[in-house]
Amino acid sequence: MKKVKVATAWLDGCSGCHMSLLDMDAAIISLGRKIDIVYGPLVDAQEFPEDVDVTLVEGAISSQDDLSRIQKMRQRTKILISLGDCAVNGNVPAMRNSIPVSKLLQRVYVDGSEERKLIPTDRVPALLKQARPLREFVKVDFWLPGCPPPAKAILGLITDLLEGRKPEPTQPVKFG
Amino acid sequence: MAQKKLSIRIDGQLISAEEGQTILQAAKANGKYIPTLCALDGLTPVGACRVCLVEVSGVDRLFPACTTPIQEGMSVTTNSPRLTRYRRMSVELLLVERNHTCAVCVSNGHCELQSMATALGVNTVGFAYNYPKLSVDMSHPRFVLDHNRCILCTRCVRVCAELEGAHVWDVTSRGIHARIVSELNEKWGQATSCTNCGKCVQACPTGALAEKGWAVEEMVKKIGTVTSLVHRRGVQV
Amino acid sequence: MPRIQDIGAFNTVREAGLAKLVPAVPRLTVGMGTCGRGNGAEGLYHAFAQAIESSGADIALVPVGCFGACFQEPLVSVRLPGKPLVILRRVQANDADRILEDLEAGRLSPDLIYCKIEEWDHLTGHVRYGEGYPEVPAWNEVPFFKGQKKTVLRNCGILNPDDIEEYIAIGGYQALYKVLIDGHPEAVIEQIKAAKLRGRGGAGYLTGNKWEFLAKAKAEPKYIICNADEGDPGAYMNRNEIESDPHSLLEGMIIGGHVMGATEGIVYVRAEYPLAVHRLNRAIEQAREYGMLGENILGRGFKFDIALVEGAGAFVCGEETALIASLEGEAGRPRPRPPFPAQKGLWGKPTNINNVETWYNIAPIVMRGPAWFAETGSPKSSGTKVFSLVGKVKNTGLVEMPLGTTLKTFIYDIGEGATGGREVKAIQTGGPSGGCIPREMFDTPVDYENLAQLGSIMGSGGMVVMDEDNCMVDVARYFIEFTHSESCGKCIPCRVGLNKCLRILNHLTEGAGAPRHLDLLDELSRYIRDCSLCGLGQTAPNPVLTTLRHFRSEFEDHILARRCTAGVCEDLALSPCENSCPLHMNIPRFLQLYKEGRLEEAFLSVILDNPLPSSTGRVCQHPCDSRCRRQTLDQSVNMREVHRFIADAIFESDKYEGIVKTLLARKLEPTGRKIAVVGAGPGGLTAAFYLALLGHDVTVYDSKPEAGGMLRFALPEYRLPKTMLRREIELIERMGVKFEFNTRLGADLAFSDLDDHFDTILLSIGTWKESRVELPGTELKGVFGALNFLEAAAAGQDVALGRRVAIIGGGNAAIDSARTALRKGAEVTVFYRRERKDMPAIEEETTAAKDEGATFMFLAAPHRLIGDAAGKVRAIEIVKTRLGAYDTSGRRKPVSTNEIQRFDCDSVILAVGEGVDVEFAKDSGVTLKESGTIEANRFTLETSRPKFYAGGDVVTGASNVSGAMGLGKQAARRIDRQLMEAERWSILFPDFEYEQTPPDEPSLSRRHSGRALVAAVRVRSQDEVVNSLTHEEALDEACRCLRCDAKAVDVS
Repeated sequence: MKKVKVATAWLDGCSGCHMSLLDMDAAIISLGRKIDIVYGPLVDAQEFPEDVDVTLVEGAISSQDDLSRIQKMRQRTKILISLGDCAVNGNVPAMRNSIPVSKLLQRVYVDGSEERKLIPTDRVPALLKQARPLREFVKVDFWLPGCPPPAKAILGLITDLLEGRKPEPTQPVKFG
Repeated sequence: MAQKKLSIRIDGQLISAEEGQTILQAAKANGKYIPTLCALDGLTPVGACRVCLVEVSGVDRLFPACTTPIQEGMSVTTNSPRLTRYRRMSVELLLVERNHTCAVCVSNGHCELQSMATALGVNTVGFAYNYPKLSVDMSHPRFVLDHNRCILCTRCVRVCAELEGAHVWDVTSRGIHARIVSELNEKWGQATSCTNCGKCVQACPTGALAEKGWAVEEMVKKIGTVTSLVHRRGVQV
Repeated sequence: MPRIQDIGAFNTVREAGLAKLVPAVPRLTVGMGTCGRGNGAEGLYHAFAQAIESSGADIALVPVGCFGACFQEPLVSVRLPGKPLVILRRVQANDADRILEDLEAGRLSPDLIYCKIEEWDHLTGHVRYGEGYPEVPAWNEVPFFKGQKKTVLRNCGILNPDDIEEYIAIGGYQALYKVLIDGHPEAVIEQIKAAKLRGRGGAGYLTGNKWEFLAKAKAEPKYIICNADEGDPGAYMNRNEIESDPHSLLEGMIIGGHVMGATEGIVYVRAEYPLAVHRLNRAIEQAREYGMLGENILGRGFKFDIALVEGAGAFVCGEETALIASLEGEAGRPRPRPPFPAQKGLWGKPTNINNVETWYNIAPIVMRGPAWFAETGSPKSSGTKVFSLVGKVKNTGLVEMPLGTTLKTFIYDIGEGATGGREVKAIQTGGPSGGCIPREMFDTPVDYENLAQLGSIMGSGGMVVMDEDNCMVDVARYFIEFTHSESCGKCIPCRVGLNKCLRILNHLTEGAGAPRHLDLLDELSRYIRDCSLCGLGQTAPNPVLTTLRHFRSEFEDHILARRCTAGVCEDLALSPCENSCPLHMNIPRFLQLYKEGRLEEAFLSVILDNPLPSSTGRVCQHPCDSRCRRQTLDQSVNMREVHRFIADAIFESDKYEGIVKTLLARKLEPTGRKIAVVGAGPGGLTAAFYLALLGHDVTVYDSKPEAGGMLRFALPEYRLPKTMLRREIELIERMGVKFEFNTRLGADLAFSDLDDHFDTILLSIGTWKESRVELPGTELKGVFGALNFLEAAAAGQDVALGRRVAIIGGGNAAIDSARTALRKGAEVTVFYRRERKDMPAIEEETTAAKDEGATFMFLAAPHRLIGDAAGKVRAIEIVKTRLGAYDTSGRRKPVSTNEIQRFDCDSVILAVGEGVDVEFAKDSGVTLKESGTIEANRFTLETSRPKFYAGGDVVTGASNVSGAMGLGKQAARRIDRQLMEAERWSILFPDFEYEQTPPDEPSLSRRHSGRALVAAVRVRSQDEVVNSLTHEEALDEACRCLRCDAKAVDVS
């Protein structure tokens, strides 16, 4: 049987959702027989491949770079999933949203810095005015809230997809 | 004098309830669940949150269960696809209106808005988030008011006015700018009418009013203390 | 003045009042409502007062309220003893002296006369002013008042609102006296119930029932409240009623107080109505003084008083529970009902609330009886209602009509239709909580049920008329912005729902809308309607729901095409001219380039926007002209003539070859895709031009022997010299377009051939089929179809017309035929069944035909054609028509009369319309519409057959040159995107650098038009009639442009 190509992505988030993903213990081994992780922080691939079946995205869209990445992922993925609160509703990254970007950078890189009081300009992607959830930029197929979503819930969702069911959470998922 | 009994149907089941009861009271007395956010046992119902809307057969309009008195022969439906859709919509709109960052909220896991979202299966919101800039009032020595989490249910306003008799809280401004204020827009810490009783904090369904000193998830409201107080004092509403 | 305690004293006051109202000296009144004052009535009143004082004339000068015709303010009435009351309109302060002179001389001032009143039924009394002035129309004969029935407004604009004696003179407070004497309050309630009076605040609840509730309520005290918190934008009925006739309100309330057992009445009135507050306070004082309020009213032992409370201006306080909260000193937020105010109202006591107008109906019902009241109006909604008719109609003001009157009566009969030759598009009723009703539904009778069925409400009576310059998306946005800012914030649906609704609508008007927004808006609006706590939220989504329902295509335009046809949403248009141009030419750009002396670039800008600039420069319907903002200064910029000049100048110069090279250099690399265009008319040529530039291999097929379509074969030489057209077609050919002539689709060319040989096919066939007309005698010799005639003339063939030619029709083909026939030396008469202003032909063309000697006969429909023995037409019989009721297009329908006239003629040209001959498309898999055109997606222009697109008249039916070209251009863009799977369109257009700031001061120059040859000369030749502008004139025109495209740059 051909393995399902799964990608994961880490945008503006804390990587907690990826930790939760790895937290599914032994189940990950049997899962590994059915899927190939083709992209993401867990593997080496540098470029997001074409024709991915499922992509799990952690984090909000906060920078120009996040935006172009999510657009590319959307183009190359059949099923796109918002994984965790940041991707679903902005969560902690969105707490900066009522502060103008220039003030924010000033506070972090100049006022709050001991040395090299300088706002970085290159190699750091430009911030968008606000950090916002995925669905405000691209079409999202499924959402799995939680901070982080429990490993079981992630496993349940992937299993449902592998078995061709419309994912229905077996236990209630909650924000936070 | 014994209250006159009326016969009504709730979700098809025939029940007997006292005249003068609201649909919500009759339902509760008979073990029927109707979701609520702004209603709190013992406080004047205000019909503000609209999640307790129910259908009454023969009438097109929806009725708030918390304020509608029962009538003989009334047949009430508490659940339907339309009601669920509308309840979800109310919860979604509350979630985008202000900044409910559950992950870092003291009431995470003990919040009525959060659990209602879970119960209604809300796992995303179809509207853009407002992300407004709202203040947090830390001036009170024991309590904190975080406007980011407030859903304007006005339980605090009513519990303070009707139960404590202090009337520290009220609502200022209109529409989307409406917000809770203590006294005439004083800092809470400077509100001399506040008796520091904490009833408002216990009555608050979210993390908008909380005790100081708790971390994320640690604030568990003792709503029972408020309602039992109502019954002990026999407050009539 | 002692308080009136008996009928004797009452009658004495009545006599005194009548002596003021119908004095033995001349009486002069000035309309001093807010509307009159806004138009200078105060200055006018002072001018009269001064003049009277200095001359010492014995004239009674009296301030009154408004008579309703706000568009004619300031209104003045004059009456000489024994003569009718004559109303003068638009009177200015400097007219005062001569009006007084005329009055003293016993004359009227003829130029100011509006109408007269010989007698007036105040319903509580009757006043006979006198007879005379047969030349002056009676008040109800002028269009604005025709059909109006003044019940609520019975005293407005006639009585002095500050004088209780005048009110008593016309039977005022008689109804109160009657009720107190009779002593049967419950009988009055029965009367109100029998009259079926419904609350005029908008909800339409039966007033009698409401009164009964309060009358039966047991608690003490009880309150009655008048809701005068009139907050709808554009509505001012209540303001005017109180300003003009405060005592009718008081009388209604005192009767209500007595009947319902209340001891206190409260008028809750907007603080923004200072004049109404002032006059009402004055009226209350006078009523107390004369014994109508206070203890022992009219000596009948009844105690009642009225207080006035000024509201702070929150819209939500019009909702009764919020109003009560406001009266109690709380913030104006509604409370859930039940309990209803009749159970638990003000201060927890039983309370009745009625709208201002409801109270005004009480005294007449008491005096004239319920049967009299119920005979007006519709079965379920009796009586009259006052509406404020505002917006895009000629006549605006307060209109009181029987309920059940149709919308079109309001709009076309009373309002006399749209202004400036525009078309009415919709009417918005019920203020911000109402809905927009499209003109197809103007037959709807206005009452509570019918309006509700269309998703609107009657509300308090606002009527805002909208025309084609109103964007319905923006209208919805505007009203939501209003209700959003007025929401009290108590319940979630209204507080947050309206906020989200507004944000989505803002997105749409900014061009950031997405298709999913339409369903979201719909769902959200239904939620707000069904779930909100009070009437504000429950009705607030009506503007969205009704516009979504009746004007969905406008929403789709904003989202899918990013266009706002009305030109209101600024983010979606470059400038009004660009927005109105079917080709969306960047008009300010070529004007500016020309102004900067850059002729070649100006031409490049023009030709890349419009491949037939010389031809369209002559014959386009120029919609840009009527949208140009320069009109508000003097006249619009003559944009059409400037691009004609630019194009002619380049085509005739040695710069032409250079431009061709530039264009060829812009051509994209060959794509290898083959495209067929069927039809070489303006639409097909346009599509071919762009497709060739985009690198495609384009072949154009046409059944005629040459390209150009209607431009070549229907337009007469004197309008469009064919040499001009040929040069344009040659340019298109040089871009690489191939032509195959004398090839007819369906006959010489099969759909399958096209399918086999081409990647994409565009159908762009013209409207060459003459519409059939049911007219006896069309088979006679000498009867021609206009297109056949014009085509023969354009081909240089001789058509034997004879001396007298009759032409039937009012469109461009009729006028072209007329002018062509004139050039053949004929005597021409054009018969048209409507009036000249209804003619679809270009206005300038009609005028030119008239100048050249054509005779026009309007209101004349063909009846039959009469032939001789040889079967040759000899005469035409026409039947005279008269104008009947308005149809939904806002034109009066011609109705045949019995009058038949005969005109001898030698030939007849029928110009009654054209259609597409769609025979070819039968069984082709291309779906046709009932109208006989091809069905194509409005945005993509795809037909039901794969690979086949359609653009031009074949989709829209007969339209005009630029319309067809616009669709051709749109088709080219869509086809390229589909074939190449990329948006390549913008690559075709170079960036032009040019001045982006508008002129500091507008140029003082007047509009230039091309000079026309003298009619007597031009009619003897085929020479082009209208000359091109000169270089100086064209430059002047370019300088006249105000540069609406130059947007303010955000410098922050």
